[in-house]
Amino acid sequence: MTTELDTLLRQVAGRDVDAFSAFYDQTRSRVFGLVTRVLRDPGYSEETTQDIYLQVWRNAEKYDPSAGSPMAWLMTLAHRRAVDRVRSEQAASTRESRYGAANAEPPSDHVADTVIRGDERRQVAECLGSLTDTQRECIQLAYYDGLTYVQVSERLSANLATIKSRMRDAIRGLRRCLDVP
Amino acid sequence: MGPAGADLLSLATPYALHALTDIAIADIDRHLGGAPPDVVEAFISEVRATRETMAVIAAATAVEPPAQLRDQLLRQVTEDPVRSITAFQQQPRRWSRVVLAAAASVVVGLGAFGVSAALRTTPTPSTAELVFAAPDVRTVSGEIPGGGVATVVFSRDRDSGVLVMNNVPPPQAGKVYQMWLVDADGAHSAGTMDAEAVAPSTTAVIPDLGSSSALAFTVEPPGGSAQPTSPVFAELPLV
Repeated sequence: MTTELDTLLRQVAGRDVDAFSAFYDQTRSRVFGLVTRVLRDPGYSEETTQDIYLQVWRNAEKYDPSAGSPMAWLMTLAHRRAVDRVRSEQAASTRESRYGAANAEPPSDHVADTVIRGDERRQVAECLGSLTDTQRECIQLAYYDGLTYVQVSERLSANLATIKSRMRDAIRGLRRCLDVP
Repeated sequence: MGPAGADLLSLATPYALHALTDIAIADIDRHLGGAPPDVVEAFISEVRATRETMAVIAAATAVEPPAQLRDQLLRQVTEDPVRSITAFQQQPRRWSRVVLAAAASVVVGLGAFGVSAALRTTPTPSTAELVFAAPDVRTVSGEIPGGGVATVVFSRDRDSGVLVMNNVPPPQAGKVYQMWLVDADGAHSAGTMDAEAVAPSTTAVIPDLGSSSALAFTVEPPGGSAQPTSPVFAELPLV
């Protein structure tokens, strides 16, 4: 799948709309799912997902295969976009009401994605489950809630060095568990 | 590796997770520029591995988007009007004398400035030349909060305008300026400029004015947005 995404991105850079649709179809649930987890609001999530794929359409030629996989490129720009949106919403003070439980489950009416295999999803869930509570908490606040590590340290009343090493250890744990090179 | 290197490395994971302010990111980028190669390599390696890991993790939170999102996207992509302004800025060219003579009073108001490739003299007049020579040419100017002046010379007859910005500071790190033509239906993108595109003097053609009543500016993430996602920081009424 990675090789195919590689090829599709190259074609998108050449303004190939069919390649763009194929790229969208293969990646849409990961992107929309992440954006929804970060933004919570369905309207903002759809808008932000749209902005992300427009960015892919306009900047596909900037993808550098030597810097990482196409999926990592996409999810990085998607995450950045979602976090930027959530922080500007926060600046506009509209965020508080949407912040129920920090670990709320995704909306129960979500449709299971059609692209990701069940065993992949299960393996990822298991690896996430293997993190310590404090590691998982750090990743939740920083990655999914869009807090800076300084804000995380304030929220958890822990010092900066502790937060940074928890984050690093969480990622290393996941990486080992998932066999990411 | 000394303490400074270790400090920098300790920020690699937050960097990769976007758990930093834009200012902190710019700061780190600067430090990386002056750091020893082994530190830079270790930093890049950690960031890359973190991003790959989170890309795999995305399987756990995957949710199918609504079907109409696909249709909207494909429609937008096939009609995409947004261009990066940098595409037009190659070598500065001088105004042709004919154009200057025809619009002398307007040009004097703008002062001396470099001309982008979009405004170069060709056998058929460029959009800018048409605007400047139009019978109904108008000029509006405004100060940009944060510094500098933006001027739009436009013609309803030619349905186009030329934007000139003088001494406007470039957008903050990791952002672009996006211009919007505002009409009764809302805001329509008229292009983006990243930090490199914003020189001490910047010129851009704004085509397809339509019935727009203003040119507005917002700060957006790279690549621009379908609709403004931040407050308008400057607006020039096109009257």
